[in-house]
Amino acid sequence: MKKQLAYFLMLFWCISTQAAVVDDMLASYKADGASDFSASRGEVMWNKDYPDPDSAGKVRNCTTCHGKDLRAKGKHAKTGKVIDAIAPSVNSERFTDPKFIEKWFKRNCKWVLDRECTSQEKGDFLVYLRNK
Amino acid sequence: MTTPDSTNKMLVWDLPTRVFHWFFVLCFIVAWITHENDRFLYEHVYAGYVFFGLLIFRLLWGWVGSHYARFRTFAYDWPSVTSYLKGLLNGQAMRHIGHNPAGGWAIFIILILAVLVSISGLLVFGGEEGHGPLKGIISYDLGSAAKEAHEFFAIAMLLVVFIHVAGVVVESFYHKENLIWAMISGQKPAADDAFQVRLYPLIAVIVLSTIVISATFYFRGYITQTDAKPFIPFSSPALPSNATWVTECGECHLAFHPSLLPARSWLRLMQDQADHFGEDLSYDDETTKEITEFMVKNSAENSPTEPAHKIKASVSVNDAPIRITETGYWKRKHEEVDEKYWMSPGVKSKTNCAACHLDAKTGWFEDSNMRLPKLVKEK
Repeated sequence: MKKQLAYFLMLFWCISTQAAVVDDMLASYKADGASDFSASRGEVMWNKDYPDPDSAGKVRNCTTCHGKDLRAKGKHAKTGKVIDAIAPSVNSERFTDPKFIEKWFKRNCKWVLDRECTSQEKGDFLVYLRNK
Repeated sequence: MTTPDSTNKMLVWDLPTRVFHWFFVLCFIVAWITHENDRFLYEHVYAGYVFFGLLIFRLLWGWVGSHYARFRTFAYDWPSVTSYLKGLLNGQAMRHIGHNPAGGWAIFIILILAVLVSISGLLVFGGEEGHGPLKGIISYDLGSAAKEAHEFFAIAMLLVVFIHVAGVVVESFYHKENLIWAMISGQKPAADDAFQVRLYPLIAVIVLSTIVISATFYFRGYITQTDAKPFIPFSSPALPSNATWVTECGECHLAFHPSLLPARSWLRLMQDQADHFGEDLSYDDETTKEITEFMVKNSAENSPTEPAHKIKASVSVNDAPIRITETGYWKRKHEEVDEKYWMSPGVKSKTNCAACHLDAKTGWFEDSNMRLPKLVKEK
């Protein structure tokens, strides 16, 4: 019983950190000038193809590495290293560390879109992914 | 040649001498076969240990063993050898119950070379590999130099072994007695002046059981290993680590140990972090500084491992490769790896060291801690 309670509290703590972290980030994006965020806009962008600057005819998108199923593990496009699932419903560590999120937004937007994402786009991604 | 079961046989070679002889042969063969592939260093070293142990036994047995096993019974001066060899040519060479003068010399030369092979092998193992009884006592450079000597003595010993075998064959036909069978059965046709020797079975059993027990102990990891937890033959003390390095450098690929490239390579790599093989790492100054310091401090120049020494030696001082796969040592070591292994689903990328090197994470990359992956079709 005590154990169950402990698990419940841990889960609750994770979910609440997640919620708080994402809310804080959304607020700061808004402060940067973003307007209301849209999960459906985020979803469209998540699945959109961008030309691969390294090989003509090929495309890159978020699922290249994260996989089509957000709840499944992904694979690094170059090295093949396994990437933990991005959906917070199966991976409670997701969206709990603002520094980590910003680092990967920067890296991955540059790799897929060949530019950094705007605050609006990052917010759209977050509201799309947070409930997955 | 006399058949083994002909009349009037007598025991010439006691049992310990025969056990020594054939296991010594076996160790020599195993050591030759296993030296070809670094992957079998663990087995090579075991063959070497048994070889050395048997050698020490034989050196003692040469003083306290049965008559024909004792050194003084086949220690002939050089003129005896030349007159024996001349005798062979003009058909007057005398039959010897024990070793003949030429054979006796071959035995002594083989034993001396065996001592040199064993000692130089221990030097290489202690210096270059950092294992065995001389670990920590012998410098890497001395171990590395001993490797040349080890190879030289082994080749020299092989040559004398060929001469020994050729002599045995010639002598067998010449005196019409099967000397190879004599080393198995221990028996030879009797002669008037011959010495009756004892069998010493107990000593032979002790020698044999020492080999069997030590082999079981040494190789027990192969018996108890599973697919999920393969046996890792060599383990070494952990090299320095750093939490930031482990997490930051291990997110997209194996956190390559700093000992795998020279410091100048790491400096260049970290300076170019905004274009890290096409990706922007975007580390803040603090993270960059911490990782750079750790990499430089533990670079190939500053690490005790064999790959560190060899990578450092294989990179020209004017070069600062940013891929480990660009170093001469890496290329040399992997040129024989078949393309099908690189393409197999368990490997896929040359960054995936751990697909074959069970201890890739530790940075040691021990020779025997390496397995080619099973080739399975991707589902």
